[in-house]
Amino acid sequence: MSDTPSDAPVKSNLPKWVRGPQDFVGGLAMMAVALFALWASSDLQGMHGFSFGAGTAPRMFAVLLLLLGAAVALVGILKDGPQIAAYSWRGPLFVSAAILFFAVAIRPLGLVVSAFAAFMIAALGSHETRWLEAVIVGACLTLGCALLFPYVLGLPMPMFPRFLIQ
Amino acid sequence: MELFANLAHGFAVAFSPINLLMCLIGALVGTLVGVLPGIGTIATVAMLLPITFGLPPVGALIMLAGIYYGAQYGGSTTSILVNIPGEATSVVTALDGHQMAKQGRAGPALAIAAIGSFFAGCVATVLIAVLGAPLTKLALAFGPAEYFSLMVLGLIFAVVLAKGSVLKAIAMIVFGLLLSMVGSDIETGASRMAFNIPELADGLGFATVAMGVFGFAEIIRNLDHGAEMDRNLVQQKITGLMPTRKDLVDSTPAILRGTVLGSILGILPGGGAVIASFAAYTLEKKLAKDPSRFGRGAIEGVASPESANNAAAQTSFIPLLTLGIPPNAVMALMVGAMTIHGIVPGPQVMQKQPDLVWGMIASMWIGNLMLIIINLPLVGIWVRLLRVPYRLMFPSIVVFCAIGIYSVNNAPVDVVLAGVFGLVGYWLIKHDFEPAPLLLGMVLGPLMEENLRRALLISRGDWSVFVSRPLSAVLLAIAAGLLVLAVLPTLRAKRDEVFVESEG
Repeated sequence: MSDTPSDAPVKSNLPKWVRGPQDFVGGLAMMAVALFALWASSDLQGMHGFSFGAGTAPRMFAVLLLLLGAAVALVGILKDGPQIAAYSWRGPLFVSAAILFFAVAIRPLGLVVSAFAAFMIAALGSHETRWLEAVIVGACLTLGCALLFPYVLGLPMPMFPRFLIQ
Repeated sequence: MELFANLAHGFAVAFSPINLLMCLIGALVGTLVGVLPGIGTIATVAMLLPITFGLPPVGALIMLAGIYYGAQYGGSTTSILVNIPGEATSVVTALDGHQMAKQGRAGPALAIAAIGSFFAGCVATVLIAVLGAPLTKLALAFGPAEYFSLMVLGLIFAVVLAKGSVLKAIAMIVFGLLLSMVGSDIETGASRMAFNIPELADGLGFATVAMGVFGFAEIIRNLDHGAEMDRNLVQQKITGLMPTRKDLVDSTPAILRGTVLGSILGILPGGGAVIASFAAYTLEKKLAKDPSRFGRGAIEGVASPESANNAAAQTSFIPLLTLGIPPNAVMALMVGAMTIHGIVPGPQVMQKQPDLVWGMIASMWIGNLMLIIINLPLVGIWVRLLRVPYRLMFPSIVVFCAIGIYSVNNAPVDVVLAGVFGLVGYWLIKHDFEPAPLLLGMVLGPLMEENLRRALLISRGDWSVFVSRPLSAVLLAIAAGLLVLAVLPTLRAKRDEVFVESEG
């Protein structure tokens, strides 16, 4: 992450009348979530008589979130506020990749492979990582997990890749 | 007094050397598993439940009590050390506890959490014995309208404890409420916003979302370039393991208030125990001479919610045993275990099986005692964990969290969802939205909806029921009062100051 330090604000591409970009964008995003929820719950039944249908409460809260999002965005227009903080790409990318890999690999490849690989992929997320050290700690952690979860705690978990066992 | 005789009987049942040993083992194992980051209280109790199956009923329940307290304390430990709350009640502990850890005061935070919990447990045990039966009547006075108002009040607590903008905090609560709607509708069984994904049919798990927005998001944020300084700070200045005299003086009233508040709220079936820790924190923040200290490492902010949480867990046995309503997921697991051993919660259980009931209440107290015996010496070891360099710590936490989430339902989709919520949480942090209100909204959402529906059904669609019933009106009035206090312009100025400095 030798790119921009995260605390330095990025230059805003937003029009000048937006005085608090952080709130403005945040509010808009909340409105988007609310609209998505409204769309997702649109096929559900509404009120019938006095009783709520399945869709009543979700739509009620979605409308509420829409209004609140609009209010937050309005604050962003009317009041001076902080700029949007810069995102770094390396941490989020590799941590998500590690999690995703674990989720995909745990069933077919088993705990040993997926835990060690997830450890190494996550370690890519930091420029501070020292590789030899990471490999040793990753291996020890994998061994510990492989003993702890299936044996000590008795959780049903595949240990080794499926094709090796068969 | 007959009730004290009952309690004495309970202790006589529980105090055999073999039972004490069971409890000690339970508390030790519970703590060791619960302290793994990413393995929350619920997951810990669920994992360890099977080891009690082979024991005789009383021994099994006592061991379970040990596991429960150990797991809960383990959850508080991860909240304080790595900012990953294992269940709803320790979300509040993370707020100031983790700040204390960042200031090198993890030791006192952990110690005061144990001491506060122990004290609250002692008081609540006596309270159950003295007031158990009459207080059940209070719980019965709560109808759906009162519960809905109580939930509203609980959610307002989350607004008050947030550091930044009130508007954004409310938006986060509603976002959480929306998330809680995902899954099957309680009454009609219709699938809501689940997009035909089978794993979503039961809704989003609390552990999944909490691990995402707290655990993964915190890790990702710590990997940001500017955050390095902050982390090094945590590792370098670790001062004192035990609380100082000043810490004890500061936290004693907080522990007392937290205990009283938690004992009262715990009696209410449903959300009471969850609301207790949030309410206790809010109370401390409102009573403090300098509220700006909260969220920045105030020891009262750890002491009070931890005591309230524990007192509520203890008194929540009253509705559990008399009405059969478990206050949270962990207690629901406990009911499952009780049923396996032949105790069916319900109105008659107190008369029919006094051995088990009072033995269990006594064993909860013993569980508390074991907790403090085990954990005060261990504080030093937990604190030392903070010295592990972050470059090794964070991949380990990622792996533990992934395994922990996977193990709850054996569902890879849950792991992916937690990852997605990690990115959502990172975005929220970048836009100064706080995750704690979101989680509370998510926990209280289903209860809130259920009671709202019932109340309106009973009142035949008349919304005035919430203000015409006195108890409900009082709760709503308190909620409105708190909200007004939170948005008052004078307070606003102070809050903004806090938010700028702490998130710099």
